[in-house]
Amino acid sequence: MSDVIVLAGADERDLTRLAEYRAIGGYDQLERVRGLASSAVIDELNAANLRGRGGAFFPSGRKMQFIPSKEQITKPHYVCVNADESEPGTFKDREIMNRVPHRLIEGSLIAAHAIDSQHVFIYIRGEYLDPFETLRAALDEVREAELLDGVTIVLHRGAGAYICGEESGLLESLEGKRGQARSRPPFPAVSGLYASPTLINNVETIATIPKLLELGGADYAKIGAPPDSTGTRLFCVSGNVVKGGNYELPMGISMREVIYDLAGGLPDGRELKAVIPGGSSMPILTADQIDVPLDHDALRALDTFLGAAAVIVVDDRACMVQLGLRVAQFYMHESCGKCTPCREGTRWMVQLLEAIEAGDATHSQLDLLLDVCDRILGKCLCPLGDAAAMPVASYVVKFRDEFRAHIDQGGCPFGGESSLAGLFAPVDQHAHHPVVEAAAPA
Amino acid sequence: MSPQPVDTLKGFGVTFKQIFKKPLTMQYPEYKRPVYPRFRGRHRLWRHQNGLEKCVGCSLCAAACPADCIRVVAAENTPENRVSPGERYARIYEINMSRCIFCGYCELACPFDAITLGNDYELAEYDRDDQIYTKDMLLAEPIKKVPVADAELYDTPIPYYRTYS
Amino acid sequence: MSAAELVTVKIDERSVQVPKGTGLVETAAAAGVEIPVFCYEPRLGDAIGACRMCLVEVEGMPPKPQAACTLTAQDGMVVKTARTSEMARVGQNATLEFILVNHPLDCPVCDKGGECPLQDLTFRYGPGTTRMTFEKRTFEKPIPISPAISLDRERCILCYRCTRFSESVSEDNQLVAVNRGAQTMIATFEDEPYTGAFTGNVTELCPVGALLPTQPRFEIRPWEFQAVPSVCGLCPVGCNVDVDQREGKVKRILSRNHPEVDEGWLCDKGRFGFSHLYAEDRITEPLRRVRRRGLEEISWEDALEDAERLLREADGRVAVALSGSETTEEAYALAKLVREGLGAHTAMLPEEVGGGLDAFRVPLSAIRDAELIVVLGDDPVVERAPIVDLWLRKARRAGAEIVEIGPAGDVQTSPGTTARACRRLKTGELGSRLRTSERAILIWSGSGAGGGSHLAALAADLGFADKPGCGAFFLPETANGRGVAEAWAAASDAEGPEPEPLGLLIVSGDEAAANPNVRALAERAERVLAITMFHSLAAGWADLVLPGTSYLERDGTYVNLEGRVQRLRRAAIPPAPDELAWIAQLAARFELELSPYPSLVFAELSERIFGGVTYEDLGEEARLPERVPLAAPPTASPDEPVPPKATAGTLQLLRYRPLFSGAAVERVPELQFQRPAPEIELSAKDARRLGVKRGEPVNVRSNGTSVELRATINKRLKGGVARIAEDHARNLHPTVEVSK
Repeated sequence: MSDVIVLAGADERDLTRLAEYRAIGGYDQLERVRGLASSAVIDELNAANLRGRGGAFFPSGRKMQFIPSKEQITKPHYVCVNADESEPGTFKDREIMNRVPHRLIEGSLIAAHAIDSQHVFIYIRGEYLDPFETLRAALDEVREAELLDGVTIVLHRGAGAYICGEESGLLESLEGKRGQARSRPPFPAVSGLYASPTLINNVETIATIPKLLELGGADYAKIGAPPDSTGTRLFCVSGNVVKGGNYELPMGISMREVIYDLAGGLPDGRELKAVIPGGSSMPILTADQIDVPLDHDALRALDTFLGAAAVIVVDDRACMVQLGLRVAQFYMHESCGKCTPCREGTRWMVQLLEAIEAGDATHSQLDLLLDVCDRILGKCLCPLGDAAAMPVASYVVKFRDEFRAHIDQGGCPFGGESSLAGLFAPVDQHAHHPVVEAAAPA
Repeated sequence: MSPQPVDTLKGFGVTFKQIFKKPLTMQYPEYKRPVYPRFRGRHRLWRHQNGLEKCVGCSLCAAACPADCIRVVAAENTPENRVSPGERYARIYEINMSRCIFCGYCELACPFDAITLGNDYELAEYDRDDQIYTKDMLLAEPIKKVPVADAELYDTPIPYYRTYS
Repeated sequence: MSAAELVTVKIDERSVQVPKGTGLVETAAAAGVEIPVFCYEPRLGDAIGACRMCLVEVEGMPPKPQAACTLTAQDGMVVKTARTSEMARVGQNATLEFILVNHPLDCPVCDKGGECPLQDLTFRYGPGTTRMTFEKRTFEKPIPISPAISLDRERCILCYRCTRFSESVSEDNQLVAVNRGAQTMIATFEDEPYTGAFTGNVTELCPVGALLPTQPRFEIRPWEFQAVPSVCGLCPVGCNVDVDQREGKVKRILSRNHPEVDEGWLCDKGRFGFSHLYAEDRITEPLRRVRRRGLEEISWEDALEDAERLLREADGRVAVALSGSETTEEAYALAKLVREGLGAHTAMLPEEVGGGLDAFRVPLSAIRDAELIVVLGDDPVVERAPIVDLWLRKARRAGAEIVEIGPAGDVQTSPGTTARACRRLKTGELGSRLRTSERAILIWSGSGAGGGSHLAALAADLGFADKPGCGAFFLPETANGRGVAEAWAAASDAEGPEPEPLGLLIVSGDEAAANPNVRALAERAERVLAITMFHSLAAGWADLVLPGTSYLERDGTYVNLEGRVQRLRRAAIPPAPDELAWIAQLAARFELELSPYPSLVFAELSERIFGGVTYEDLGEEARLPERVPLAAPPTASPDEPVPPKATAGTLQLLRYRPLFSGAAVERVPELQFQRPAPEIELSAKDARRLGVKRGEPVNVRSNGTSVELRATINKRLKGGVARIAEDHARNLHPTVEVSK
């Protein structure tokens, strides 16, 4: 595809090296922007209608405009780059940091200029060892080349919590406190890191900025599926496909094309059963719904979200109850525990799904599961609760017959042959969880 | 001025007839009329089958009592001295029978079926102090028993906790 | 401060006007509508919206329920609570259902039952049955997180009130949440006991039976006890308390929340210290000293005979040593008996009062509102008047500047030189800032205050008398030292010479009985009559011992460090008659009219010194009397003698009386772990010089006495000074040698 923006040039050269990056025009935009007013950057981003790539899809230019000026709030302003990529199904930020770290650094320096900030924090997932090393080496190069111009970039490692990828959890963790979500308002734009105005964006969003400025906002807006889903995205295709991986594609491309043409279709001649369009937090689509353009509005019309653009393909070997259980276990394990519905509700969901999978549940408990999901939705402190309730509810609604079959047959119809059978979730390590005795690995 | 003289004479007639009818006097205490199975009489504290007292000293009976006649002082079960299952037991449990109105609210309030109202009503004492029943008295079988009507004759389910000790 | 702008908010069809910025929960309360909460507690800081109990529907906001505690009143806001909004009702019902999903069915055995917000809110907003049929998450329970508090992790609903208290009120950061998600639990680091002056407050904050005091375990069903409103008498702050008594015995003490005095907090000494009433060595009958047999119990008739005989034999050569823990009425009665009845006018008062600080009176809550606070003195505030320490922390969090002047302060001074430091504040940079500030507070925490006269002289010089936001406090040593001294002075205007030789010494109260100066005076007296609560204090040197009563067993008044007169109420039945009863009887034998009823004694006393206020005027939440206008510039009393500086190789010994000390605390088993450890605080410089590391045992010597203590390092302590708690310093002299 000709429209490669975030990873542009990465195939031809080793863009982890400053010299190589500069050879293709790297850091030119930064220099140009530093001579302009901050509003110039914001105007370009608004013209491009760049939306956040972390999952919330919020317009980035508008987000920057929420930051009060230094006259209004005299505290230091901060830029936080959310490199704590923990959404199951996503691995795009890893590729960006591994292959084009300098684009990320240039983007964060441009963002710092846009909000008059002298401090950038990159919060990177603790498990990403290689990207951390790559990024650190790149930062050393930038510092030696004196490109920082008074801006400090701190590369901070996380310690293994999904909730620290949520913006307020990230800010709490960065401040050295327990990584728990904060109540909003006040929003980070007004009171974020150290109660100061903070801009917090996903890695991909920030890494898009340099090339976007090079193309110009108006031209960027023509790519993809304007007016809302402009530009390209790195789609993480995984699951039961032949060629999984990151594909930078313009938004609006058909999901069928992505799965069958680009990713090589399903292996072993299996049939497609379901597709999760945006990472495990998003409601699922059935096989007859894949002729949908991968853009925001089209997916909203199908009651799901583009989210973090992680397309997870599920074939007919997979038991949907087991998929729901594995997803629910993830959210139970990662819940920060601050608000009641998520903390207690996700655990209850796991117990219900375990009962259904084991065949011990009743039909009323299936309705109870839907009611529990409904009681979590919209009542939590942060989106993690919604991210747990929405997908599981969609599995039950769209594959109700399979759930019913478990109940009627008193066990999993796949009889242990499902491709998800025997999956060991990290939460099973907790001694208090009843599954431990049953499912501990050999 | 008297009302209808006929009605008055009818009344007298009824009274006159009663003179020749056999009286229906029950000679208590030679004959004690059987009480119904759910008759609310003297209280009883129950134990589990393994010997532990059911009462945990939660004091809900004291709270429910409209006559404020129950006194409960709870204490902690220790490994050496385990009286009830759970964390606590009733160290002091007293019911002042002279205040009790035998309403049965304590039985309704008890979450553990520890206290029930039995069927015995022969509770007279010479001294007011003897009317305060302590826990030992309430745990023990009543000394004086009264006849109880056969439950089968009535549509009365007897709860299991009333039939074993 | 300009008048707050009023906004109109509609709550459930009811309109209400509140100042802009009022929290939505309070706004609803003003409209008569309840919004249920768990984690919301304004005294703990900003609302966190964690429990999701207060969900309401707000028009104009995103179509999902909002946490009302995090919202403030805006003009034109339309709010619907569970009463009128299905969304809010389901949200609140869901929150309670989720809490109950893992909450153990402990109600019959849980001490919180009957006064449990979870029970009450479930009854009003929650589900009637459970749909949870799986295993609940379990923990080992109960766990003693300290000898005074037990933690039941299964009952915990993770409202985080306790951790927020530990983090942002008492600032000890000991109680934290560990693990994550459904496995979160409250713990202390390495399961160390939760130690500190304010740990008991978490038992009041906890909305369920997770954190409970161990003292009244299983004995406090709310329908079984009565709450008696009274005032704590263990320190001069005079926190307002509710004393829960059952069958005449005190079971538990809770805070009654006087917003100007204590803001709802209690220190552990006041909260847990009541069990000294039931100590084993409590004296219940009068005792007479019989030669070769020690003390023997006698009847009250005989005791009063003896007392009358002692008083007459002394022939006017009587002196009284007062403790400062007597009620004002009792002190007045005793004073009247001795001064008017016997013509003896000598008293050993617990401390100097009357320094003239009444012209600079402010409530303790003024500390919270201050912008500049100067704390002078040798003693840490938390050991003398703990709640003042909480006010200071609150002020600091709100942005106030606090300057400590003392041996361990921001401005380091030598021990015993506080008066000098006080005078220096008249000039200098700090002094000029105090002069210009509208909200400044001075606090004297230590001895040598001269009744507050040094502070009064300074405050007058700085112009505090004209500024209602500026004030000064000196922290007395005893709970009612001021009331006692004023009562003694009010009993008579006559003067008299010091009795020589001393015929009879009346020792009133345990603090006086434990005071070494009083003991020394008792040696010189021919006879001693002691009024005390505990055997060990009176045995061996008193001729007649009359049983004393505690502040929990008396009706009367105390005057606290602000100058506020507060009413005490009898909460427990004492084992002996109230002092006023037998003082009145004794007085009758000397043809003196004295009422045995506190209210009448107070009425007589109040005419003379309190401007005629009655018990009704004092009410339950006593007001602070108005400032006394400054007549003449107050003169400072002479400085206390400055202890000699340490010579080379020695250190100046700074003693302090720790909070957890005294006759009462010694008899409370649950507080023994809070008693100060046998430690000596050294400055960093001295520690390096001596080659001593933290925790190492050292030998502390002075003129024949020596004691082994563990060294701790206080980086803020002035070089050349060592600090040891009274309990461990005992007979050491003012200069000591320290070696490994």
